[in-house]
Amino acid sequence: MSEKTLILAVPSKGRLMDKTLEMFAKLGMTIKKTGHERGYHGKVVEHEEIDVAFLSASEIAHDLRSGRIHLGVTGEDLVRETIADHHKRVTFIKPLGFGHADVIVAVPISWLDVATVADLEDVAAQFQKYHGRRLRLATKYVNLTGRFFARNGFFGYRIVGSLGATEGAPANSSAELIVDITSTGETLVANHLKILKDGVILKSQANLVASRSANWTSAAIDTRNKIEQRILAVKAPE
Amino acid sequence: MKAETAQKFEALETLATELRETFTKAGFEPVAPAILQPADILLDCSGEALRARTYVFSDLDGNELCLRPDLTVPTARLYLERNPTVHEEARYCYNGPTFRYSPADGKNTRPREFRQMGLELYAMNDRLAAEAEIFKLTIDGIEKAGLTDYKIRIGDLGLFTAFIDAIDMPPRWRTRLKHHFWRPDMFHKLLRELSGEDEASTLPKNGWPKLDPKDLLGGMLIISTYMRDHKIPLIGTRSLEEITKRLMDRQLDTAEERLSKEKVQLIEDYLAIQGPPRAAMARIIDLTDKADINIAKAFKRFEKRLDLFKDRGIEMKNTEFSAEFGRSFEYYTGFVFQIEAPNSQEIGPVAGGGRYDGLLKKLGAMEKVRAVGCAIHTERLLTVVEGEME
Repeated sequence: MSEKTLILAVPSKGRLMDKTLEMFAKLGMTIKKTGHERGYHGKVVEHEEIDVAFLSASEIAHDLRSGRIHLGVTGEDLVRETIADHHKRVTFIKPLGFGHADVIVAVPISWLDVATVADLEDVAAQFQKYHGRRLRLATKYVNLTGRFFARNGFFGYRIVGSLGATEGAPANSSAELIVDITSTGETLVANHLKILKDGVILKSQANLVASRSANWTSAAIDTRNKIEQRILAVKAPE
Repeated sequence: MKAETAQKFEALETLATELRETFTKAGFEPVAPAILQPADILLDCSGEALRARTYVFSDLDGNELCLRPDLTVPTARLYLERNPTVHEEARYCYNGPTFRYSPADGKNTRPREFRQMGLELYAMNDRLAAEAEIFKLTIDGIEKAGLTDYKIRIGDLGLFTAFIDAIDMPPRWRTRLKHHFWRPDMFHKLLRELSGEDEASTLPKNGWPKLDPKDLLGGMLIISTYMRDHKIPLIGTRSLEEITKRLMDRQLDTAEERLSKEKVQLIEDYLAIQGPPRAAMARIIDLTDKADINIAKAFKRFEKRLDLFKDRGIEMKNTEFSAEFGRSFEYYTGFVFQIEAPNSQEIGPVAGGGRYDGLLKKLGAMEKVRAVGCAIHTERLLTVVEGEME
């Protein structure tokens, strides 16, 4: 049995996991769980030197930052949200053509007077007058939101944490507007929300990402190059 | 703060004790507000710049708390606890740690924990006297600490407000300009929009009948009918009235004459004023005369304030007035000042303060409570003073 040289993290559940395993299989890398069916460890049948970790997509982003893993498949949104200085910490090797989701700003459809981000600051000033407080914004994407609005000059809001269904927050009056991910927009409409015209913060999809701070031994670099070559040889999806 | 030597700790304590003696002798009662503060109140009251730098977390009961980013709001809360209904004149001083996130950025990284010593004067009727008292005492304090080589920067948000009020334009444009004063980029964007140079953000095209700006109820009826016809439920906290009101304003904005180039220039010229106070005053007179606008009341107050400072023995020779100064702290409403050491470019100002008449009402006071205060960054002060002695 050969020595493990590199840790590759893949999503541990759902469509994202299925798509990831499918993609690697096409590249001639059959990923199998080792040990217990519900365990979190795996291997690449054809490449014993690769250690596979099954992790949640957000854990993968965290571990890319800390360098506990060398490579990982996760959403660009999570990498940008989790790692403030991501250009120093990780390298995006390739977008993989699945796991599409947009991070967007949405407000109630009934806000007929609001179409763009520029409207929000005005609404915030008016809201302050009527209600004596700032607009509340529900999101899981605290950092993406902060950076986006700082760049676009909207400040009159306060973030309220969101654990469950963010889209429901305006209707149940726990927030006035939201920043969330959407793939088809159906959930938003069902919750009587609309996306602002210039309210797309990020068009995200699954990416193969390399950590810069992982332990890059020459053997690890060799393994990475092998994986990269194969993955980059595939024509870019759409 | 960085791991500090016992020596540094002692030196800071000595400095704080000296300052406190000066302040208590002047009638300021030492108080010690809590370090942990409820997050929502604090975040709602402080400006964006401070908000982004506050440490927020929740406890096991799910309460959102923060480490105080300054002592002004915590001290104001303490005042209101003691004076819930009748807002009596009061003088407090404090000394203690404050906490601010500072992005790691090489040698420019500022400490995330530092001490502030400060003064707050509440509900004093004579506004100018209150301002002079705080200003003078701050200067006395830092001079007593040994700082002799410093510059003073002053500003007056009351002058800005008066200026905008004096220029002929629809009242809601004034409200918007005042609201955006704190964000220079947005302010300039808004000026361009009002002058027609930039297009206002798109209004919904699928129009409803023209709304009559004098008939709010009629407008609300039109909008609610529109919503019903288009199966748009009214959800959330923002009311039909608020939505209608703003639609009316937007319709007016596009219908009305634009803010003239001359007026835009006038506002920008005012904000560019910088220099010794008397020279700045001459420039303001020059601007207002040419534009034929009247800000006499605010101007007189500014002039009287300078005279009063002189009477109190404050030397204004190293003082610069800046019309823009005060933009970074959202709660200030009038006179603002800052004391800078020669290396303040790198380390930040040694002390700063001003009038903040809006804060206590926001925190739950029954009525507007006048307030003036200052905060001294004792670690910076000590660094500068020790540097001077070497």
